[in-house]
Amino acid sequence: MKKNDVHARFVTIVNDHKEDFYRLAYSYVKNQEDALDIVQDSIKKALMSIDTIQNPHAIKSWFYKIVVRTALDFLRKHKRLTVADDGVIEFLSNGKEDDYENFDLQQALEDLPVQYKTVITLRYFEDLKMEEIAEIVDENISTVKTRIYRGLKLLRITLTEENKAHE
Amino acid sequence: MNEHLKRLKKEYKDVPIPVELDKIVASTLKPEKRKPRFVWSATAAAAAILFTATVNLSPAAAESMSKIPIVKEIVEVITFNEIKEENNHSSIDVKTPAISGLENKTLEDNLNQSYIDQSQKLYEEFTNSEGHLAIESDYKVMIETPELLSIQLSTFKAQASGYTENQYITIDKENEALVTLQSLFNNNQYLTAISENIKAQMTQQMEADDSKIYWIAEDDMDPFTKITADQSFYISKDRKLVISFNEYEVAPGYMGAVEFEIPTDVIESLLVGDRYVK
Repeated sequence: MKKNDVHARFVTIVNDHKEDFYRLAYSYVKNQEDALDIVQDSIKKALMSIDTIQNPHAIKSWFYKIVVRTALDFLRKHKRLTVADDGVIEFLSNGKEDDYENFDLQQALEDLPVQYKTVITLRYFEDLKMEEIAEIVDENISTVKTRIYRGLKLLRITLTEENKAHE
Repeated sequence: MNEHLKRLKKEYKDVPIPVELDKIVASTLKPEKRKPRFVWSATAAAAAILFTATVNLSPAAAESMSKIPIVKEIVEVITFNEIKEENNHSSIDVKTPAISGLENKTLEDNLNQSYIDQSQKLYEEFTNSEGHLAIESDYKVMIETPELLSIQLSTFKAQASGYTENQYITIDKENEALVTLQSLFNNNQYLTAISENIKAQMTQQMEADDSKIYWIAEDDMDPFTKITADQSFYISKDRKLVISFNEYEVAPGYMGAVEFEIPTDVIESLLVGDRYVK
């Protein structure tokens, strides 16, 4: 694919999905102004490295990846990032089962370590495929599946067998 | 899908989309078709390259010429003019520097004309803006000795998010010549020597402070590998070489424009002499 085609394709994808990208950015920073900054920064960054795209069909995942990284860079900068190791996760998971009101569930999602929140957001809110998510977070598919499973467990959301089959 | 997830998804999708989104996305995607919002225009850059090429002296010539005593005017930087205006939620505050006292009038005029043109462009951008644009530009003398003068021109533009661009020129006042990065060195090995030192400094800074990020890892989108032959630089007050990067060049936007002082022992063997950098 020619360079101009890649560029044109990128522009189309950003325009078609700008609201999705904005919502994703917002889900990290919870603030309109910061979310707009992240979208803008991501586009600038993408335009600067658009020549490095190897697979023009993966532009959308590639840009999702930039948005996620830009958002995480932002959180790290503002010291608002929680990354927990597996030990902490196990500890948190052992709490008793609560009935969440919507607000609490929302809060629980916010409190989730960022690597779990990211995969859940991309999977269930952005409706991306497992392969795409793996690409975005730079992990293999089984790691992504494990993270989704653990994340849901932390949220005390149990999927029925039927749901699982649709994953 | 599970009921809980459905509710979460609904909340996620209910986040209101700000009206500015369309405009920000459109203007960021097509910076080259609109007025240059984030970069200096191609013409200004071309002009800068042109005069660098015409007036730059060879380092050897600079060394020998400096031994001839001549009585000269005082070479200095003055404020040529200042534009300050506000309207329609936009503001501009631009100081245009001018160099005076050089006998090499071609060099002086070229430099000054380039500064005037840049200010003019910023002013046009301001008058054509649809509002909510702030432009500031100011200059600073980084070093001034009987032989040397380094000037920083810093331009900040804010529209939704801010962007700062620093531009440097260094003049050999005695030889009346513009000093380029290349002219400081014997050969091209300086590119690698400086780049490696910068990467080491970046790694060290990131290890010491986890809020700092530079794009140097291989899995970064567009990692920094090497400085360019005409990389932006200046000479600091204590005669050290300082390499400067603009926003987004080697680090995320929040890091701003970053610079690295290169320890002289790293480049000593490659330097033409100690006339500029010590």
